[in-house]
Amino acid sequence: MKRHYPLKLLVLLLFLVPFALFGQTTVQGTVTDAGSGRALPGVSVVVPGTTVGTNTDADGNYTITLPTESGKLTFSFLGYTSQTFNITPAVIELEVQLKESITSLDEVVVTGLATTVKRANAANAVSTINTREITGITTPQTMDAAISGKLVGANVVSNSGAPGGGIAMKLRGITSIFGNSQPLYVVDGIIMDNSSISSGLNAVTAASGGGNSSNQDNASNRIADLNPDDIESIEILKGASAAAIYGSLASAGVVIITTKRGAAGKTLIDFSQDIGFAEAANLLGMRTLNEERVEASFGASAVPLFVAARDAGRLVDYEEELYGNTGMLYSSRLNVSGGSDKTRFFVGGLIQDEEGIIRRTGYEKKSIRFNLDHVVSDRFDFSLSSNFINSTAKRGLTNNDNAGVSFGVAMSSTPSFVDLFPDESGLYPNNPFGASNFLQTRDLITNEENTDRFLGGLTLNSYLQESGVSNTKLVIRAGLDFYNLRTRALFPRLLQFQSAGNGTGGASIQGNNYNLNTNYAAFLVNNLSLSDNSLFLTTTLGATRENFNQDLTLNVATQLIGTQSNLDQAGAVEVDQTQLKVRNKGLFMQEEVNWRDRIIATAGLRLDKSSNNADVNEFKAFPKFSVALNLTNFDFWDYDNFNMVKLRAAYGEAGGFPPFGAKFTSLVASNIGGNPGSIVNAQRGNEGIEQERQKEFETGFDIGMWNNRILFEATYYIKTVSDLILIRNTPPASGFTTQVVNAGELQNRGVELSLSTVPLETTNFKWDSKVSYWTNESEITQLDVPAFPLGAFGNTLGTFFIEEGESATQIVGIKGDEGVAKLGDAAPDFQMNFHNFLTIKQNLTFSFLLHWKQGGQNINLTQLLTDLGGTSFDYDDDDDGDGISNAEERIDALGVSAEPFVQDASYLRLREVGLYYTLPTPLLERAFGGIVRQVRVGASANNILTFTDYDGYDPEVSNFGGNGLSTGVDVTPFPSARRYFFHFSIGF
Amino acid sequence: MIIMKNYIKQLKYKPVVALLAMALVLPSCELDDIPDPNNPTIESVRENATVDDLNNLVVGTESGMRNVLGTYYDNVGVIGREHYRFSGADPRFTSDLLGAANAVLDNNTFYTTNPWSARYRVVKNTNILIDAATNTELITEEQRQGYLGFAKTIKAHQLLMNLTMMNENGIRLDVEDPDNLGPIVDKAAALTAISGLLDEAADHLQQAGTEFAFPLSEGFEGFSTPSGFLEFNRALAARVAVYRENYAEALTLLQASFFDLDGAFSNGVYYVFSTQPGDQLNPLYFAPNAAGEVRIAHPSYIEDIAPNDDRASKVSLRNAPATQSFLTGRYDVALYATNTDPVPIIRNEELILIYAEANIQTGDLGEAVRALNIIRTGHGLQPYTGPVTEQALINEMLEQRRFSLYFEGHRWIDMRRYNRLGQLPIDRGGDDVWVSFPIPFAENV
Repeated sequence: MKRHYPLKLLVLLLFLVPFALFGQTTVQGTVTDAGSGRALPGVSVVVPGTTVGTNTDADGNYTITLPTESGKLTFSFLGYTSQTFNITPAVIELEVQLKESITSLDEVVVTGLATTVKRANAANAVSTINTREITGITTPQTMDAAISGKLVGANVVSNSGAPGGGIAMKLRGITSIFGNSQPLYVVDGIIMDNSSISSGLNAVTAASGGGNSSNQDNASNRIADLNPDDIESIEILKGASAAAIYGSLASAGVVIITTKRGAAGKTLIDFSQDIGFAEAANLLGMRTLNEERVEASFGASAVPLFVAARDAGRLVDYEEELYGNTGMLYSSRLNVSGGSDKTRFFVGGLIQDEEGIIRRTGYEKKSIRFNLDHVVSDRFDFSLSSNFINSTAKRGLTNNDNAGVSFGVAMSSTPSFVDLFPDESGLYPNNPFGASNFLQTRDLITNEENTDRFLGGLTLNSYLQESGVSNTKLVIRAGLDFYNLRTRALFPRLLQFQSAGNGTGGASIQGNNYNLNTNYAAFLVNNLSLSDNSLFLTTTLGATRENFNQDLTLNVATQLIGTQSNLDQAGAVEVDQTQLKVRNKGLFMQEEVNWRDRIIATAGLRLDKSSNNADVNEFKAFPKFSVALNLTNFDFWDYDNFNMVKLRAAYGEAGGFPPFGAKFTSLVASNIGGNPGSIVNAQRGNEGIEQERQKEFETGFDIGMWNNRILFEATYYIKTVSDLILIRNTPPASGFTTQVVNAGELQNRGVELSLSTVPLETTNFKWDSKVSYWTNESEITQLDVPAFPLGAFGNTLGTFFIEEGESATQIVGIKGDEGVAKLGDAAPDFQMNFHNFLTIKQNLTFSFLLHWKQGGQNINLTQLLTDLGGTSFDYDDDDDGDGISNAEERIDALGVSAEPFVQDASYLRLREVGLYYTLPTPLLERAFGGIVRQVRVGASANNILTFTDYDGYDPEVSNFGGNGLSTGVDVTPFPSARRYFFHFSIGF
Repeated sequence: MIIMKNYIKQLKYKPVVALLAMALVLPSCELDDIPDPNNPTIESVRENATVDDLNNLVVGTESGMRNVLGTYYDNVGVIGREHYRFSGADPRFTSDLLGAANAVLDNNTFYTTNPWSARYRVVKNTNILIDAATNTELITEEQRQGYLGFAKTIKAHQLLMNLTMMNENGIRLDVEDPDNLGPIVDKAAALTAISGLLDEAADHLQQAGTEFAFPLSEGFEGFSTPSGFLEFNRALAARVAVYRENYAEALTLLQASFFDLDGAFSNGVYYVFSTQPGDQLNPLYFAPNAAGEVRIAHPSYIEDIAPNDDRASKVSLRNAPATQSFLTGRYDVALYATNTDPVPIIRNEELILIYAEANIQTGDLGEAVRALNIIRTGHGLQPYTGPVTEQALINEMLEQRRFSLYFEGHRWIDMRRYNRLGQLPIDRGGDDVWVSFPIPFAENV
């Protein structure tokens, strides 16, 4: 695949000069890093325009035989600026020094389903992060944690600190309110499912009223399964102008993940071991009690209990007891890669075992990846990606509940003088101040997600035709994503809330979830060079097909026999099954035109039809256009300090499906007395439901100066989502409470700026730095249904409110005499990040990532619950000095004003910091005689520092999970952790 | 120009054409319209529904009557000062429902919207059932009358439940076409319509033969034939009649119902619960001495009840008092002993009290005293010895209803009917006793 980058063609274009073509020339030499002089293994050495190529070996050496006597050689290596040399028969030895490129203008970005373009020619601002940013500073627990705060234009919010992850990611603002608001993930061409599947905790917590599952069950996202260390780069198509190539799947953007692949040359073996620990990032503290306070909050009868406990020194800091576990973190990785000219391979293995900050929670993952590239002949080559993952997340019981059983809710009303510890025989006392003894809950329940997943992808390239002016290839691609997710939530009947007539006599909630996605595509790609190679045309024509199958079964067994957990060891079993079946077909065509690297224009069209649409066989069209002008490549440009001035503009459209089943008015099961019954679903079907359509226009400029030591990129975008999919609240008297409708328009406008610089570069010290700023503003520009609240818990406590002319993420609530008024907005005013990599004496690297989110409110109900439970750490403080304590003020506001609960959630966070030392090569030579290629040791941490005024465990929180816009609702979440690591890696 | 390639590939047309054709043909084949893989759709019962289809709707209707009952009983019980609902997770039971400080009832939160929506969902199911039973050739006329009689009776009951919450704010009656809902009508008109609907249902039931074509749960034991179900229908009509202050009519209706001065108080129709698949548990049951989520009897219940009154057993003394938001109680509501105990829809004890009330209001005070004494002596009290005046007997009747129908959703409505909400006890300065719930926001009125 790599052989057909437009890059290659451009090199051909720019340097193609006639040469006689008899005989062959063999060239050899060493490739080194221009700064450190260190040998670079794995550098690609190719003869442009041919299939001849090799890679440097472990010592940076290469030997290559040109098919002709004279020609060119191009040396390229990821993260370095490519160089091309003219080779004449006289050249036998060629020493090459490659310069590290901070701006990656040579890397390619995706512009089509089967084509890419050099970043310097791209018309879209495509955010890319590579290995150095993903896993280079510290070890993220999951793939989703690896991208937090790193992507320009993305708003990434962790749902909680629960092991196994869970994020909400919004690219360039909210793009859908009820449709899919999470981006499409494509891993090596495989469409990877990112569902968040409830484990049915609602059957016990009753967080959202009836039913067994809800979006408050704190499920993880399935993208978390991917091993971050397998990833070579992550590229983000943030809006329709770039993502239109994915048509109706792409309205929330596309995250394209490329995994590591082998390079020809010596087999490289890298083993790394991380050992670390996690501790709660921010505990709030407990209330200091005295007799008077105990009497007021817990009643007079509690006073003697308090006095006895205090006098005996038995006051317990339950927050510390519950969230104060120090979790050990282990991660071992083994990567083996290598290959020959024809066959290259990469094997990546991971064993990860992490404990959470709550006892008996944690995350375990085993992942094995095998990537293979093989050149069958001049005509055919293929790339295979395969990955098997087994992961287990033990997530505890947190978040909202209405039964008083989740850890935080139970603790919110539990004072320090109660004794909840088990006696000698291991029996736990009941918690007299809550529905559950959370220590007992923690020690006896299981809430586990267990995934077995296989990802497989194959790309077959057939070179059908090749001539001096034209070459044509056929790309056939197939992807498969299969997983089986077993959720196990066990609540033995010994628990306070499952015994003595409480609860259901124990509950064993087991989910069996099957997911199979397959996607196929075939493309014909033709490259044509015209007018003496001054005009390049790339034409793509292809067809796509995607199949999505999901079958979710949730069994809730209650009235358990003893401590048994099997579903048949129960007096009652209830089963829910939900199936999802979607078939999509599409056609894709695209034309890319490049005139002397000066003007680069693209036009494309995707036609999609889907079984999800009301009319399944109607094609929906998603066009895109873009143009980039590289001013520095024009003849009139003679400002030497500027090596790039690019103006660019792009327009595109993408779609988003309505929620599955939106077109049906169904009768759902509702039984009584052993008879089966049907009752009309609360959701009314809509036979005319259509996809939402996003239209995005983006424009910007990129300026590179002083040989790209400074690169400034600026982008403005405006995107409009029309036919916005909304769940209308129907007048409930109709018997239906909701209906999915196309009824509005939403606009996002924003600016993204980034500045990459190398402030200092000497042989002994190098500092490169990237600072980015991004902001987004949304507005509901049209709303054909009455303004409506959603998410959160109503006006009394603050709720999101969709209203024409207002921000899509505004928070409203009651506000004294003003009635219901706007109280805040969940969207940040702006975000910035500051990425820094410092290299001292070639061996010592220090890097850190600062992330600043300014503005954006949360609805903090954790604080309210602790106020009502009389346990807030600041209960008796009086911040405004008016004689009424903080907690009383907030409690008094209940029912009067929701203002105190809507709180600013700005923060400045040192997300990642890492310090590594690479042992000098000569030392290794002496010690191991060349067997050991590299040894690196280091230490790192994440979430180490957070500056915020927010009164909660973490300003990053979402009780309602990842989808939709209800992020930032804080109801006794799993507190987030601070993670520290020691690293050791050795390469052979 | 000299071509740099050392070989020129010859275009091979055949495979290219074949692959191209494949690529183009692949998506052009039609996609199948995938039916709902999870549920039957409403269209499947519109025309020529089978007995099975209709029976599923009947069962679903009966089952749906229990949805969100917990919230309904908390609403009317808390406002009627029968109990406190303490919740570790939701503060609004003690703030909004009791009108703490400046808190008012919210027209857009669960306690207003959920019960209202749940009842109208059942109304919708009855409308689908009426529609389906009318548009099918696959059943007999008697069977059809049975379905219609059932559907309209239940529809009337569900509308009445919503009216008791909304009171003067009214309800919608005509809700068949979701795109064209009828207006919200006031309380008097709504009661008239409900009464009319019950009468229509009674006509259907009289023509429904001797057996229903559909099964009903154990909650309808003794009332699961057309004639038995008619007695249930007439009992509901009697309740509506006293709400309408048509006391003479109430007396007539009682005679057609299962009213029995000598019968067991508990005789009647119930919501039933079980642990069977797809079934529900009794939401009004909380274990005694629970913490966190509890229903605490209002202290006045035990303070006011006579020493020998066996109805004191409807509450149970806790091991430790429960306190939240400056409210404290020592007794749990203990009406139900397990989470599968049935909850009455209407039972003979209420009918006896309706009989007493109608007699007071129609001037037969002696007969009223006789009925009240049946209640009193039935609960271990001495016969009534107070003055036999209309006013005194109304007081006595309301007091007996308070204890006999405790936590069955009547106290608030009874005190409201007699303009006595001001007599309900206020626990905290600034608390309010609400008269009506607001119409849900989503009704757009």
